[in-house]
Amino acid sequence: MIKIKPNEIKPVAQYIYEISGIFLDSNKTYLFETRLSSIAEELGCASFSELHTKAKSDRSKNIERKIVDAISTNETLFFRDKGPFELLQHKLLPEIIDARSAKATGLRPNIKIWSAASSTGQELYSIAIIIKELVPDLSRYSFQLLGTDISDNAVAQASYGKYNKFEIERGLPRAQLQKYFTPAGEFWKIKDEIRAMVNFRKLNLMSPFVGLGKFDIIFCRNVAIYFTLEDRKKLFNKIADSLADDGFLVIGSTESLTGVSPRFVPKRHLRSIFYLKK
Amino acid sequence: MNSLTILVVDDDPVIRRLLEQRLKKAHYSVDVAEDGYKAEKLLQQKHFDIVLTDLMMPGGIGGIEVLEIAKEIDQNIEVVLITAHSSVDSAVEAMKKGAVDYLEKPINFDELFLRLEKIINIKSLMRNARDIHEAMDATENAASETIQNLEIMAAKLQQRLDMVENELRDEAVDAESRIARALDILAGL
Repeated sequence: MIKIKPNEIKPVAQYIYEISGIFLDSNKTYLFETRLSSIAEELGCASFSELHTKAKSDRSKNIERKIVDAISTNETLFFRDKGPFELLQHKLLPEIIDARSAKATGLRPNIKIWSAASSTGQELYSIAIIIKELVPDLSRYSFQLLGTDISDNAVAQASYGKYNKFEIERGLPRAQLQKYFTPAGEFWKIKDEIRAMVNFRKLNLMSPFVGLGKFDIIFCRNVAIYFTLEDRKKLFNKIADSLADDGFLVIGSTESLTGVSPRFVPKRHLRSIFYLKK
Repeated sequence: MNSLTILVVDDDPVIRRLLEQRLKKAHYSVDVAEDGYKAEKLLQQKHFDIVLTDLMMPGGIGGIEVLEIAKEIDQNIEVVLITAHSSVDSAVEAMKKGAVDYLEKPINFDELFLRLEKIINIKSLMRNARDIHEAMDATENAASETIQNLEIMAAKLQQRLDMVENELRDEAVDAESRIARALDILAGL
């Protein structure tokens, strides 16, 4: 593994911030080494400065993409934390379905849900499974489920919907595994009926949200923790703009919006918290 | 000392006996079954870490079926198939169905023990990962409870402060009454 030199930390951290919005302070330098060493080695770079120079001069942006993939990928599970999914099933979805059904006279009620940092798709597929189980006649509604992530690789993997048994065993009950996945050797693939309910695309949360429209429910969990306070403020301000006035926001269970956004109020439901717009 | 439990399934009594002896000598805890039916029964009765099964066995339950039964009972059971050179293709098929490894006959015991040690290492890594995950979940749960309580409390305080501000700005009321009302709101905290 290539060691990062003290004088390399600042410029490399700045570069990673520019391409991904992820802010690595000097006590997270191990992340450079564990996540970027193999890319550097693969490209024949002896140091992080060399990798930095090479990535900046790469017109195809392939190296940049690889670095974003490596630095942004975090562990994610099906039904990670039961709380938010119980919340979705017992509170948020029923309320949104009622509210949208009351408004949509004659038309199919349209409900838009966004997984803002969808990684390899587990969160959005978990949401789709809950909807499938909660709503007996799906054709009476128009559900739009969108997952976005900064990593091309994560988006591609999410779209493909194939997971290895370690990724899947933790969190997903066996009954649901067998109902919604098809075994493929050491892997499990999401069934088409669930796959067809979702869409994934690339989005950097630091850039403007163009063409996304307004969502009824937004999940933005465990991603803002990698941003600076200033960027977190900007992010949740944009999220407030993207959320319907009576919509719901769910953040990570150890995250807080105190001092981050004055536009949301927290509400408690059982063991979870969700946010409404003020 | 090996605490792992191994089930040996083979219809050939010589191989069965040989495997049993060698594995016991290496301090594994070993049970044997002479066919798939017996294996199924044993798998239902007690826990095994590893199943070492012949691929081709007479009767309705062959190695592949033993593999499927074991995985159905417990996904964490690792199955190693023993196969004749001519049926390597079926062994590869079995690996696609979740077998961890296969060995060709005649059994090379050095190779067998090497493979077993590898499985033990992987299992212990997985156990470590599971322990770490559990510890992480416990920490995360405790942290989230604290953070959520603080979040709700901060929101309540903010709401009170907004009320106090409104009262103090209310020009329809004289200064003294405004202060009195603001104090009432603060006293209600």
